Amino acid sequence: MSKEEAFTQLIKEHQGLIYKVSSLYTEQQQDQNDLYQEIVYQLWKSYDSFRGEAKMSTWMYRVALNTAIGQLKKKKRAPNTVSIDQGVVHIMDEIDADLDERIKALNAQIQQLSILDRGLILLLLEGKKYEEIAEIAGLSLTNVATRISRIKQKLKSKMTKN
Amino acid sequence: MELQELQTLWSQMSRELADQKKLTNDIIMKMTQEKYVNKFGKIAVYETIGAVICFAAALYVLFNFGKLEVWYLQLCGIFTLLFLIILPILTLRSLRRIKEINVVENSFVDTIVQFTKAKNQLLLLQRVGIYLSFLLMFTTLPVASKLLKNKDLFLETDIWYVYLPIMGIFLFFFTRWGYGCYKNITSSAESILSELE
Repeated sequence: MSKEEAFTQLIKEHQGLIYKVSSLYTEQQQDQNDLYQEIVYQLWKSYDSFRGEAKMSTWMYRVALNTAIGQLKKKKRAPNTVSIDQGVVHIMDEIDADLDERIKALNAQIQQLSILDRGLILLLLEGKKYEEIAEIAGLSLTNVATRISRIKQKLKSKMTKN
Repeated sequence: MELQELQTLWSQMSRELADQKKLTNDIIMKMTQEKYVNKFGKIAVYETIGAVICFAAALYVLFNFGKLEVWYLQLCGIFTLLFLIILPILTLRSLRRIKEINVVENSFVDTIVQFTKAKNQLLLLQRVGIYLSFLLMFTTLPVASKLLKNKDLFLETDIWYVYLPIMGIFLFFFTRWGYGCYKNITSSAESILSELE
């Protein structure tokens, strides 16, 4: 299998991961598209340097989350990306409207958290163990546990209010 | 929405995403080519063009510095030269710091801290640049007038009656706007850093 084939296979297998990170760190669809492409680009750029010391998913989460930080912005701006057949933005088009609404509500809840907390809750919801979350985030295990407990409380109080 | 419900919905979304077949090999490989302009790439292009213009202007002033015969014109010339050389270099260095953040090796927290600090520094430079540019407006006109038309503006009082009020009004609104933008962004940056400490 060529490098290109292996990479495209990898992206296809983990397209959900990239989509979830880009949707949690952007508000506009165009920004989400920009971020999705930037993550894929950064993964490709560092694909050769991935030496398999970390788990593949750990490497991907780290690159995706780190890239998202560089793309944070405050206000609407003009599109920057070239159109890639609209394939990225509309990746979730075919789901039913009710689920789509609930996912939007879920994203809105998480987007109210700080940039670090958003990353931590994403990793938690992805089913990552505290050890792996600590490795990706660069925090101690105790710190991760404390922060996640606080995030849960924050989310709970937000949900109760709504 | 309860936390448990959140988890269930997340899993449901993950399953839906795993089933999506829209991402083709062609689309993925197109994304690996840097055909689009990313945010900092775009800013860097503008800043580089600006820097080239500044350096060209600085060279022009430098090669014609001898024409600035009087001490106050020389002072204006030196300030203009320093502004045109130092500020673009510092801004480009600051942008490079952001671009050089290692998204592969860094942990998430390290990236947040480095990015926030670098962005803060860039904004500080831009703010300093805004204030200094008013001084530059004051110093450039006499220098340009002397070099291009061989006229000493300090000896011609009429133009200052028009130039100074217009510059003053512009300065007032521009600095208010610039300071407002800077304050908002840096205060949010400070809260991010303090949260991580």
